[in-house]
Amino acid sequence: MRRRFVRYAAALVAGLAAPALLAAQSQPVSGDALVVSSIGDASRLLPLLATDSASGDIVGLLFNGLLKYNERLEIVGDLAESWTVSPDGLTITFVLRPNIRWHDGAPVTAEDVRFTYEKLIDPSVLTPYSSSYQLVESVEALDPRTVRVRYREPFAPALESWMMGIIPKHLLEREDLNTTPFLRRPVGMGPYRFRRWNTGELIELAANPDYFEHRPYIDRYLYRIIPDQATSFLELLTGQVDLAGLTPLQYRRQTDTPYIRRAYRKFRYPSFGFTYVGYNLQDARFADRRVRQAFNLAIDKPALIDGVLFGLGTAASGPYPQESWASDPSIRPSAPDREAARALLAEAGWTDHDGDGVLDRDGRPFQFTLITNQGNEVRRQVAELVQQQLRALGVDVKIRIIEWSSFVHEFIDKRRFEAVLLGWSLSRDPDLYDLFHSSKTREGEYNFVGYANPEVDRLLERGRRVFEQEERQRIYREVHRHLAEDQPYTFLFVPDALPILHARFRNVAATPIGIAYNLIDWHVPPEEQRYRRMSP
Amino acid sequence: MTAYLLRRLLGLIPVLLGITLISFGVMKLAPGEPTDASLQFNPKASLEARERMERLLGLDQPLHRQYLRWLGRVARLDFDRSFRDGRLVTDQVLERLPVTVTINLAALLLVFGIAVPLGVFAAVRPGGVFDRLTTVLVFIGYSAPGFWLALLAIASFGVTLRWFPVSGLHAIDHEALGLLRRGLDTAWHLVLPVGVMTFVGLAGLSRYARSGMIEVLRQDYIRTARAKGLSERRILFHHGLRNALLPIITILGLALPDLIAGSVVMETIFSIPGMGRLFYDAVMARDQNVVMALVTVGALLTLLGNLLADLAYAYADPRIRVGRR
Repeated sequence: MRRRFVRYAAALVAGLAAPALLAAQSQPVSGDALVVSSIGDASRLLPLLATDSASGDIVGLLFNGLLKYNERLEIVGDLAESWTVSPDGLTITFVLRPNIRWHDGAPVTAEDVRFTYEKLIDPSVLTPYSSSYQLVESVEALDPRTVRVRYREPFAPALESWMMGIIPKHLLEREDLNTTPFLRRPVGMGPYRFRRWNTGELIELAANPDYFEHRPYIDRYLYRIIPDQATSFLELLTGQVDLAGLTPLQYRRQTDTPYIRRAYRKFRYPSFGFTYVGYNLQDARFADRRVRQAFNLAIDKPALIDGVLFGLGTAASGPYPQESWASDPSIRPSAPDREAARALLAEAGWTDHDGDGVLDRDGRPFQFTLITNQGNEVRRQVAELVQQQLRALGVDVKIRIIEWSSFVHEFIDKRRFEAVLLGWSLSRDPDLYDLFHSSKTREGEYNFVGYANPEVDRLLERGRRVFEQEERQRIYREVHRHLAEDQPYTFLFVPDALPILHARFRNVAATPIGIAYNLIDWHVPPEEQRYRRMSP
Repeated sequence: MTAYLLRRLLGLIPVLLGITLISFGVMKLAPGEPTDASLQFNPKASLEARERMERLLGLDQPLHRQYLRWLGRVARLDFDRSFRDGRLVTDQVLERLPVTVTINLAALLLVFGIAVPLGVFAAVRPGGVFDRLTTVLVFIGYSAPGFWLALLAIASFGVTLRWFPVSGLHAIDHEALGLLRRGLDTAWHLVLPVGVMTFVGLAGLSRYARSGMIEVLRQDYIRTARAKGLSERRILFHHGLRNALLPIITILGLALPDLIAGSVVMETIFSIPGMGRLFYDAVMARDQNVVMALVTVGALLTLLGNLLADLAYAYADPRIRVGRR
């Protein structure tokens, strides 16, 4: 009897305590610091001038744009509480949230938005982003919280362009943006405030207590510049770095130690980019679509992913990752089929007439050079595997690896190549006008393969003019189908992003947009906090 | 003497001009533009944006005009701004110089302090146990790749033993420490990089000291000194070393530019923001103002170092003095 009572009591206590415990765990406490490792240093901490990834990382925490992507890759308001697109697509009106303040206490107003736009199109400002605003006719501040942007023609990627961080007019009005001291002591309105920057060493940010969503729980954000990946990994082993990117090799083989398993969490999600082989379509051999289709069938994409990325990637069927709404789910990455590939090549006139193991047509063997840039180990290995797989098909591939600058200037820009192995990392908007529209083939433009399909041109033009998501989805899925059919590139794979994070950080999840989208909600239980509390 | 010095100094000018002209030419011959880093393979950056940026940076001007414009500024000691972050090149250099000079000076002093005695004692009995042992040791340092030694040092002393920090110059909360603690913190961070650089640098100098000493110890006046019954210590350090050190003066003179030229490899592996990485990053980004400034200052220091070595030589060795006899 007594024993039963004890058991009941224990169950009762456990039943009462469990939710309490859970609550204690999920109730975030502020404090601690996040130490991030970066290969490169930032250069200019201003959204308009930030072009390298380090500057982008920091600027993203200091400044917000009018809009942003949420974790499902949908466009949602950031500084803007709401926005409306006029039925003709020519006017976008943004209403700012009330009570947003710059880190110096001044209010963020519609005037700041107008100022940001003026500086973006100012020809004396060294920004590479001006082209996204060429179609803007005017930007007006209707009242302190309302901005109206008029376009000369409808431009759907415009929404993404308003994710550009807004800059403070009252601090920059009289400054030369290219050289102002503000670039090294920025004042934004984002979740973190700038604290210090020791060039080449460390950038420190502190939580913004007045952030409009809520104060971030993590007190300090420390961005350590560690240029060598091996060193960065050794720092990880001593716990001196909390967040770093891993290579596939490190992810699979070197982080499988008891210490790392206990102290860290590894994440994995597809990056927004793809690796591809592009063909010079002016070359008579590659102008024949059947040849490109044959190569797509002959290249064993899963084997590339296994061999080079240790399985940490996804085979690609087109330019969009499978998670993207623009990707047509009915198109699967082709399964390798050497016989079908051989048949296609035979149809195009390529057979091994002389029995030397290499296909030939009109007495000339099928031989070409695949070029790629120096310093990218993954690409070098992919090139070798592609060479091997096409060799099995009877195509003789030579590989040439070229230093980046001459690669771009002497080979890509001047279109002096037969086939090229490269990667694109693209923005989340599915617009591919710059890559595949037939007008973008001047020297230095990005349709360097010379792809021209009037139907794709028409779709790409139309895709820029409509705002309705369903209509755009229909358009870009059709683009995807055309590209999969035409194969101007052999789309190889989408590599995974592989961050590793110290396990003391809670409320972290991998989503299509990465892990840092909810950084302000990360927290560390007080007993696990490592860095002293921030002095006010 | 003054006339000689003046003549030498004037002679530096055309050499320096030639060096800058060649560097500028090489810089421009290399493919790539300073605007590449921000514009290249960025589908959001249009051709128009690129042209505009090149115009703003003066890169659309003919080459000779770009060079002359640069020369005119440098004559007024103005090295202009970096294309990468828009800061004055002088500021960038001044920010990084102290670290590099500290590390290099520390390593240089240690190398001298260790290599010269090593060489001297090895020379006493060439081929003896000590000589062979030190030869093997310094040549390990000389032949092993520096980056590998550095990683090995980090892995053993930084990760396994935890005696020293893995990389960087300061602890994260460095700024909150007292002055003394801050100094100790920095020194603690410098142990591994300076140690590895010293080990790597030992071979050259100890070989010079050794061969110089062997040479000197064969001289008649050493035999005379021995015959006089001087102590071995006095023979070695008073009569021997002073003469054996002559070639080392040259090496010291040549080390002058090395003081400001950081080692890219060491700075990268130990995450030290020094001159080596500044130069390397500038070359990679085709940041021509930074590259040209560093090349010019480096060339100037090399030339001055040579001059200084010549003068010191003349001071130390009466046989090669010019002029007054």
